Amino acid sequence: MVRRSGVLLKSAATGISSRLAEILVCPLTKQPLRMCEKTNSLISDSIGVSYPIVEWIPRLVPSDGIILQSDQDLNSSDSPQTNSS
Amino acid sequence: MSMRSIYRGLRRNHSRLCSHLHSHATSFGFKEVREEDKSQMVGNVFTSVASSYDVMNDLMSGGLHRLWKERLVSRLNPFPGMKHLDVAGGTGDVAFRILDSIHGVARRAVGDIHDDNLLEETQIFVCDINPNMLRVGRKRAQERGLGDSKSLIWVEGDAEKLTFSDASMDGYTIAFGIRNVTHIEKALAEAYRVLKPGGRFLCLELSHVELPIFKDLYDYYSFSVIPKVGELVAGDRESYQYLVESIRRFPKQEKFATMIAEAGFQKVEYENLVGGVIAIHSGLKF
Repeated sequence: MVRRSGVLLKSAATGISSRLAEILVCPLTKQPLRMCEKTNSLISDSIGVSYPIVEWIPRLVPSDGIILQSDQDLNSSDSPQTNSS
Repeated sequence: MSMRSIYRGLRRNHSRLCSHLHSHATSFGFKEVREEDKSQMVGNVFTSVASSYDVMNDLMSGGLHRLWKERLVSRLNPFPGMKHLDVAGGTGDVAFRILDSIHGVARRAVGDIHDDNLLEETQIFVCDINPNMLRVGRKRAQERGLGDSKSLIWVEGDAEKLTFSDASMDGYTIAFGIRNVTHIEKALAEAYRVLKPGGRFLCLELSHVELPIFKDLYDYYSFSVIPKVGELVAGDRESYQYLVESIRRFPKQEKFATMIAEAGFQKVEYENLVGGVIAIHSGLKF
């Protein structure tokens, strides 16, 4: 029961987040964003930056962006780097 | 009338002198700071004051800030289905009022399915650069029963580099926020960019008082009373010292109106409240 409500909460959060990806754009390039459920972040493919979503609030200040090291998702062990703007 | 024109002349000369001496981007209240540091310093102020922000607003303005925000929202004329952006609206005051107003409008209208759909399509974005302010705002939304509302969307973002696409908003408000932005022109340009043609820009901000005796009373209140209250209630005298200094450093009503027009807005007007303590500037994007 607890696990199911946890799953429901998580899917509600990602539901909201995928809606966000449709509305929001990268603050630097103004290009569309892509939701990445694995890392719970919004990806700006145009510049290879990932913006985190913390406590259901997407952090789209340019300095919150994390530069992606590879085409794949961010490793959780990576330390966040600031995006130069 | 002639006194007023003398005042205006004096003001113009004074502001011309001031613009050579300082720039908004490098002023942190009366201190001079490096442009790249201002944003961080302002951020620290709001992280510090976030939890007592609303209480302090009530105390400092004697509850009047509520009336000022009501006035702002009524000037906005919200409608069901609108896409609205409230910038620097961290704790949600303006956003909640806009939502309440829209639900009020919907109730008064003749009900049908079309209206309910419109109500659901309403989207109010609350954008703030400070996560603590947003956190307080989300919590307040939950307390008001708006926690699950799909119409209220909280985003951390920078007024100078907005995360919204061109021409996506019917309305843009910024209440007590533009003073804290490092580059006002950039914030205004972004406001213009995200508004749809026909969209309205509204700014509620602390402004300049010129009335002779009232100005002295206001200065006394600002510099002697407010930092003290900040120290006692929020445990943070410095942040409130920054607050009152930053008001004095902000461009005067006419200058700010010019800046709004330079960003491309038409029909730029301003309304003084409480003798100029508060000004509501508005503009239209054609």
